[in-house]
Order: sequence, then structure tokens, then C-alpha cells
Amino acid sequence: MPKLKLAIREEKTAYKLLLPAFIILIIVAIYPLGTVFYTSLTDKRFAGTEETHFVGFENYKRLLSFTIKELPPVMTSSSLIDKLEQEVDPETGESVYEKAIKILPREPIRYKELAQFNLFEKQYVIGATDPDFIQAIGNTLQFTIISVLFETILGLGIALVVNSNFKGRGAMRAAMLVPWAVITVVSAKIWHWMLQSSRVGLFNTILAKFGIGGGQIAFLSEEIWQIPSMIVIDVWKTTPYMALLLLAGLQIIPMELYEAAAIDGAGKIKQFINITLPLLKPALAVALIFRTLDALRVFDLFQVILGSREYSMATYNYYQLIGNRAMGYSSAIGVIIFIIIFAFAILYIRVLGGVYSSE
Amino acid sequence: MKIAQKVLFCFILAIIIIYLLFPFYWALNSSFKTEAQLQMMPATFIPRDPLSGNISFNLINYKSIVQNQEFLYGLINSSIVAISTTLLALVAGSFAGFAIGKLRFRGKQPSMYIILAMTMFPQITVLTGLFAIINALKLEPRFSMILTYMIFTLPFTTWVLATFFKSLPTSILESSQVDGATFFQTFYRILLPLTAPALVTTGLLAFIASWNEYLFALTFTTINPAARTVPVAIAFFTGYIARQEPFGEIMAAAVVVTVPIVVLVLIFQRRIIRGLTAGSVKG
Repeated sequence: MPKLKLAIREEKTAYKLLLPAFIILIIVAIYPLGTVFYTSLTDKRFAGTEETHFVGFENYKRLLSFTIKELPPVMTSSSLIDKLEQEVDPETGESVYEKAIKILPREPIRYKELAQFNLFEKQYVIGATDPDFIQAIGNTLQFTIISVLFETILGLGIALVVNSNFKGRGAMRAAMLVPWAVITVVSAKIWHWMLQSSRVGLFNTILAKFGIGGGQIAFLSEEIWQIPSMIVIDVWKTTPYMALLLLAGLQIIPMELYEAAAIDGAGKIKQFINITLPLLKPALAVALIFRTLDALRVFDLFQVILGSREYSMATYNYYQLIGNRAMGYSSAIGVIIFIIIFAFAILYIRVLGGVYSSE
Repeated sequence: MKIAQKVLFCFILAIIIIYLLFPFYWALNSSFKTEAQLQMMPATFIPRDPLSGNISFNLINYKSIVQNQEFLYGLINSSIVAISTTLLALVAGSFAGFAIGKLRFRGKQPSMYIILAMTMFPQITVLTGLFAIINALKLEPRFSMILTYMIFTLPFTTWVLATFFKSLPTSILESSQVDGATFFQTFYRILLPLTAPALVTTGLLAFIASWNEYLFALTFTTINPAARTVPVAIAFFTGYIARQEPFGEIMAAAVVVTVPIVVLVLIFQRRIIRGLTAGSVKG
């Protein structure tokens, strides 16, 4: 039976060829992933002499616990009318509430203040056992959602422009590759320099010319500007990549469809909504997921520019490992990031896997 | 009407190009400025003399970075790491890609899914685990980087090469079998030469990805600064006249490391675009 023999030989060859790739991936990905899951349940420290204990889900509890408590107003008796009323700060004129530290629970782990907000005339405080991490999750989600949204809109716009026929289209596509190809650390440094907090920086120079900010905007040290600055840099760096992915999707849409629609009297906008968007959907979905997964694990940009002033999930993981030597704790952060990305990855396989699984 | 449309189109194109390339112009502009010129307010769009206002280019930043040991070592380290990573990923990736793209075997579907899932593997998750292994085994940082960069290069090369092998006609495989060649002989004598274009594409992408990598490079060289790659060296730049962050030198270094990549990208742009968009569009 030569045919069967050939099939067996083919199978054996296939396994041999797959072996190197799988061995490498087991060493660098699967095995470390296993150890990270295990270490996340311990209080292991890096390069320490302390004994390692199994602590169950203690790390996760510490990372994710948060609470919202109402802050009671501070009452004083007014001297004029004999009635209790809320104390008002004589300088700012704002109402005074009880200090958050007195209200937030302290046992078994202390909750620290993350933020305060006012709702229906009542003051609330959000406390977390690790406010830095909750803040990092918030920063990362805000960064991901807004930057991916802008990249998609801008990327689609650029792709549509470049998709039309014009001289120098090749040069244009080459220019689009440049921001993508540049080292992220390098582009972060260039933007860091452009965003300097005085008029030595480009943005303050230009904005001051238009009378905005007086050349004193601290883009990278003032909290309200930090995440928006990161978003602006990321949008610049990755919009071209998004545009290229969408451009590839646009180019497989047959021209005849547009011609037929034009004969039927459909305008450009109608053509875009009825032909371009639906046919671009697969490419759009893939590009969105690629970018979302990438943005969720953002590290280089935050680490280079913000350091430990403001964290993303990934930079917080890094600082817990290198700065704090808390291996167990940083492993737990890694697992949380993994779970978030895994959820997106399932979506990705649903979208893409079907295309290739048919054989 | 037609002319107005054309003008508008060119205007939009110009804005896009300025948006994409202006930061590089700014880096180039700043790299030719001395410390005094960099501190001028408002910032000038061409290097100018602080007193007279005349145009004045200065090469001091470039002189300083070619004497900067850490930067030069960084270039060497980066080259070693990126080239080795690319070669290793191409060898292991073309083997696996051939098996998945052309051969029939049990367990093909699961292996395909594993590879596809691995292309999205978050490196940050295994950072702690890898760091522990590297420290326990006292692995050399450059070697550690080459090995761990497989996480993001190998699944990708395998995947792209598998789609490429799949597109080659099966008749080549069959006819060489009739001639009595083994699958392996068919692979490296006949199919591998045919895949040269795909190898160049995936190789370039793997090279750029490893050249740019920061997270692992930063972590694994904490104990051994001599092994720092270019991104880490630039992130840690301290100038000779280190009053504050030496942005002039950083911009010069940025120009030096960006130019080769840009040249590479311009030469191979078609291939790179094809490789980047490989997995995202059907067919």
C-alpha cells in the first residue's frame, strides 16, 4: 500500500517540521505563562531572602478591591442663626466634607483615596486598596478607546484619499510607512521634545502665537494633559498602519460595483454607505481588533514619557517587578492583562479563523 | 469646478504628508542646534544663532553621539539581536509554515489555531516568568532577547509563510514525489527558492519588530547595561553636558537610527505593505 505509506511519511515529516517552532514557543511562552499563573498566587519576591508563601487570590484581591463611600458634610453651628450648617472653606468657598481617610475602611487592608465625585448634592469617595492599579486600568481603557477611535476615523479618511488614482501615490504610501517603522522609543522622545512645557517646545510655540496657554502648557506633567498627550502621539504613530490595513481592504472592492451604482444614480455618499462600508467590514474588524489588542498592552510610550508619574497596566506591571521586586504581585497584574486580551483574542479568532479553517 | 476639486485634493494630500513627516523634520531641525539654540524661545523652525538670528547649523550633537560608547554598543547589540532573531524566526517559521500550508497531518487544525492565537500573545504577561527563568539560569541578555523575541516573530512568520506555501500549486509537491524525493528534499530544493519573496517580506517585518522592541530589552538588561540595545540606550541617554535631558543629542541619535530604517522601508515598501496586510484581507 504505497499510498498509505506516503501519507504516514507525510505526517511524520509534518511533525518534524513543526517541532522546532513548538519547542521554542513552549520555552518562551507556554511554560512562563504557567509559572506566571502559579506565581500570581504567591507572595514571591525577586532576589529576596524571604520565604515564599502561597497566598491564594490575595494579590488579585489587593489589586482589584475598591469601594465607594459617601462623605458626610462637616457641620458647624453658625453664630448668627442657631442652626447647624455645612462648613464652607473660607478661601475657596467650597463646601467642606469629612476627610476621606476617616471614612474609608482600614481593616484588613487599608483603602486609599482614588478620586472624589459629587452626585445629587452628595459627596462620594472612591477608595481602592491599590489606587495606582485601578488608575492604570482606567488610563489604559481611556487611552485604548479614544486612540483606536481616532485612528479608525483618520485612517479611513487617509485610506480613502490614497485609494483614488493620482500621481505620486507610491510615494504617498511610502510616507505612510515611515511613522510605523520608526522605533517607538524614538518617536516618544521626539514628541516629548515637541511637547515641552515652555516655548522651547513646538506646540507651546505655535499655541502661544495663537494666544493659547501663553506658552506655558505642561502637557506631560499636568494630569489632565497626560493621557490626551499619549493619545495624540499614539494616533500619529499608528494611524498610517491602520490606513494601510484599510487601504488593502478598499482595493479588493471591485470597481464595477461603483460604476453600476453610478449608473443607477447613486451619489458618492450613498455609494460609500451602501458599497464601501459593508464590503470594508472584514478589514475594518481585523484592523480594529489588531489595534485594540496593541493599545491595551501599551508600554513603550508610557514608560519613556511618563515613567512612574502615571501608569498604564503594562508599565505598572513593570514597576512592580523591577522597582518593587514584587514578583507574585506583578504576576497577578500580568494575568489580569492576559485575561482582558484573551477576551479580545477570542473575538479575533471568530472573525479571522473562519476564513482559513475551510479545507 | 474640476480645478477647484483638484486643488482641494492636493491640499488634503499636503496636510496628510505634513502630519506624517513633520515630527521628523522637527527632530532633524533640533539635531543641528546647540544647547543655547535649543533653549531659544520661541523655538525656531531652522537652527538660528541666538544673538544675530542668522541661520546657523551645528554638528556638535552628531560629534557627541559618535563618541558615545553606550550608543555605539547599542547599535552593535541591536544589530546582533535583530539579525539573529530574524534568521531564527525564518528557519523555524518556514519549517512550520510549510507543514501547515502544504502537508496533511492529524492535528493540523489545532496547530493552526495555536499559531494564530500566539500572534496575539501579550508579552507583558510572561515578563515576570521569563525574567525569573533568565535570572535562575543566568542567561546572557542578548541571547535571552533573541530567544524571547520569538514570541512575537515566530507565530507571525509561520502564519504568513503558511498562507504563502498554501498558494503554491500542489502539483510541484506531487511531481517531485514521483521522482522519489522526500518531503524535506522537496521543501528545501524546490519550494524554498520559490518562497524567497515571502521570506524577504516576513524577514523585514521580523527585523523591524526586533529592532524596535523595548519591554524585554529594558527588563533583561537591568543588571547588564553593556547589553543595552538602541531603544534602551536612547531612553537612558545622558549627555556630556547633562544639565537636563540632552534633547539635542537624543534628536541626533533619533535621526541616525531612523534614516537606515526609512531607506529600508522605501526600498521594500511594496513587500512590507503586502506582508503587513497579509492576514487582514481574504485571499
